[in-house]
Amino acid sequence: MKYTSQAVAKPYFIGAMGLFVAQVLFGLIMGLQYVIGDFLFPHIPFNVARMVHTNALIVWLLMGFMGSAYYLVPEEAETELHSPKLALILFWVFLIAAALTVIGYLAVPYATLARITGNDLLPTMGREFLEQPTITKIGIVIVALGFLYNLSMTFLKGRKTAINTVLMIGLWGLAIFFLFSFYNPHNLVKDKFYWWWVVHLWVEGVWELILGAILAFVLIKVTGVDREVIEKWLYVIITLALVSGMVGTGHHYFWIGAPEFWQWWGSVFSALEPVPFFAMTLFAFNMVNRRRREHPNRAATLWALGTGVMAFLGAGVWGFLHTLAPVNFYTHGTQITAAHGHMAFYGAYVMVVITMISYSMPLMRGRAANSNKAQVVEMWAFWLMTVAMVFITLFLTAAGILQVWLQRVSDTPLGFMATQDQISLFYWMREVAGVVFLIGVVTYLVSFFIKGEERAA
Amino acid sequence: MDTTINPPPATTDAEPHLHGDLAIWFFILAELMAFGVFFIAYAVTRAYNVEAFNAAQAGLDRNIGALNTILLITGSWGVVRSVQAARADRLVPAVRWMGVGLVCGLAFLVAKIFEYRAKFAAGLSMDTDTFHMFYFSLTFFHFMHVVLGVCILGILLLKLRRGGYGSHDVHGLETGAAYWHMVDLAWIVLFPLVYVMH
Amino acid sequence: MSSTFTTSAARNIFYGGAVFSFLLFLALTFRTEQVLPQRDQRAQLDNPQVVAGKRIWENNNCIGCHTLLGEGAYFAPELGNVYKRRGPDFIKAWIKGQPTGVPGRRQMPQFNLTEQELDDMVAFLKYASEINTAKWPPNIEG
Repeated sequence: MKYTSQAVAKPYFIGAMGLFVAQVLFGLIMGLQYVIGDFLFPHIPFNVARMVHTNALIVWLLMGFMGSAYYLVPEEAETELHSPKLALILFWVFLIAAALTVIGYLAVPYATLARITGNDLLPTMGREFLEQPTITKIGIVIVALGFLYNLSMTFLKGRKTAINTVLMIGLWGLAIFFLFSFYNPHNLVKDKFYWWWVVHLWVEGVWELILGAILAFVLIKVTGVDREVIEKWLYVIITLALVSGMVGTGHHYFWIGAPEFWQWWGSVFSALEPVPFFAMTLFAFNMVNRRRREHPNRAATLWALGTGVMAFLGAGVWGFLHTLAPVNFYTHGTQITAAHGHMAFYGAYVMVVITMISYSMPLMRGRAANSNKAQVVEMWAFWLMTVAMVFITLFLTAAGILQVWLQRVSDTPLGFMATQDQISLFYWMREVAGVVFLIGVVTYLVSFFIKGEERAA
Repeated sequence: MDTTINPPPATTDAEPHLHGDLAIWFFILAELMAFGVFFIAYAVTRAYNVEAFNAAQAGLDRNIGALNTILLITGSWGVVRSVQAARADRLVPAVRWMGVGLVCGLAFLVAKIFEYRAKFAAGLSMDTDTFHMFYFSLTFFHFMHVVLGVCILGILLLKLRRGGYGSHDVHGLETGAAYWHMVDLAWIVLFPLVYVMH
Repeated sequence: MSSTFTTSAARNIFYGGAVFSFLLFLALTFRTEQVLPQRDQRAQLDNPQVVAGKRIWENNNCIGCHTLLGEGAYFAPELGNVYKRRGPDFIKAWIKGQPTGVPGRRQMPQFNLTEQELDDMVAFLKYASEINTAKWPPNIEG
């Protein structure tokens, strides 16, 4: 750690890990509700568990991005953070807002939450992933603006590297596209159409810039490869990501009432979406192979490589699997989508945040890397989580294929619930894989507390 | 992924080498993949609807299409001559030839706008039928490329006039030129495929 | 074969490519807005019941279990075409009868909707079922 103000990243990472645990626990509850339908009913209905599961994910990834940016931007800009105090205040605002929102989800029926938060004044609630009360959304915007102000000031006064520039564009884009969450027209088609401007243009747009910048930063640090080499590849990869991903939004516009030319445009461009992810994998492995130093933090290198591979599999391969309109006609809104969503989020965004945490946490705790013992445990966590996620994805894919066959393709289609009963075996197996994933998360957290021989920073 | 960072060579040498920056070649590759996938989709769809496609295709204005082909080829020729002139430090012709490329690009856009106006006036759009979905999508996607290409040629022209390129450095010039040739190439496939072949 | 690969070229191509893609996306969006009136049943939005129904749909987080035009959670049936699959009376009776309380089965909460609200919900689901979704879903089961 070169600048003391970088340490503000630490509470963000700790908060993120706390929410990660919550996310996985609620995921397990949902997984069980898939097979034991009345589990915890009526205390935690499925929709509530799902809100906590997905919103905790989004918030902890945002916290992870923020922590990463607070760590990364000063180091790249070669200057102290504009205001560490503001960063700490915003952390607590964000954490408390997130906690209150989750408490709101769990404590009262959603309709009550909508009423007491004044949703009728500016209705934005009740749409997938954007379930947060309007007041929470406004809070997110305020936190984001303060965060961007703080980092932009730091960025402007310091060295402007490609990594910093790309990261800042990604973060500004994140904030700007979030504003579409306030647009909720009565017209269902327009509602859905612009809803994707938040969701898709985040995960297959600006978030990829953030992902690329963080990955490039860590790769420079752990491999010692020339900045020049890494930065130009970063530009090439994110160009490919935006060129394919932007119009690739069309793969969400096939069946929601949008005009049918999207079936062609969406299919063609999203067919190219695996390309940037493939390039990213090649890039990560190449840089590590050409490394000029043996960084003591081997765990961070493993996470960086894992990000490349799993993002390619989850976002690239599993995305392509069902992105072409004639295929998507049958798979749209089935467990295939769930399979893709799980591996893509884990492979791209969960892993990149953990990569950054894994790299920077030891430095913030005053050492170049954790002890060998701690790293071995961390690598166990890597494999437990990653293999578990591969199996979650495979089981959901199997469930999805059967679901499509029984409910959509068959000449004598079964109803939704009749189909669900037929595929419950796969849901059980997914739940087992989910438990292994939780063990992986716990192992990861344990690795933070393992002492042993350490190298000084 | 191994690329050497040598100083931009100003003149051609014996060793085969890629003119223009490697980054633009990645971009060109991606663009050609997008066009390629679209072309294949067209060809496959057409194979299932030959008669409907032929009937709709008859309504296209091949004369404007042919004119546009000539314009783009001429434009590419101008850009090639401009790069050659710049390499030899003959800046005045370099600027003029780049001007030829730019004017051809602009003329293409004007002709295309007239073509679109006639189509819109006839009530045709992307949503008329599958053929017109492809016709408008492919030509508009290409149209956008020409717009971008014209912007790039304009920037190159300005920099040429300021003496920014010459035997000391044609790297940026070659990079922009490579993009323009790709735009030309895409049209040379698009025109016969959509306008002529049946 | 050698080649030159510079950060500045890569950067310029990134900016150019990003702006280009965004403009292309905006152009397609513009076209979408032109075509939507023929597909999205917007005339039905003049009916206040449809608008109220959408609010009830949102305020009870229906999307947390169900899909609507294939988007949402995959825990409970698709509702974009439920109006056509089940009809208005069934929908109202079903919502009123929840939860079933059958041991081990998936449970839908009781939302305590008034008769008026149930009618609004039905109006909204009818509207959703009439949107032109390019013949999706493949069959009535959703």
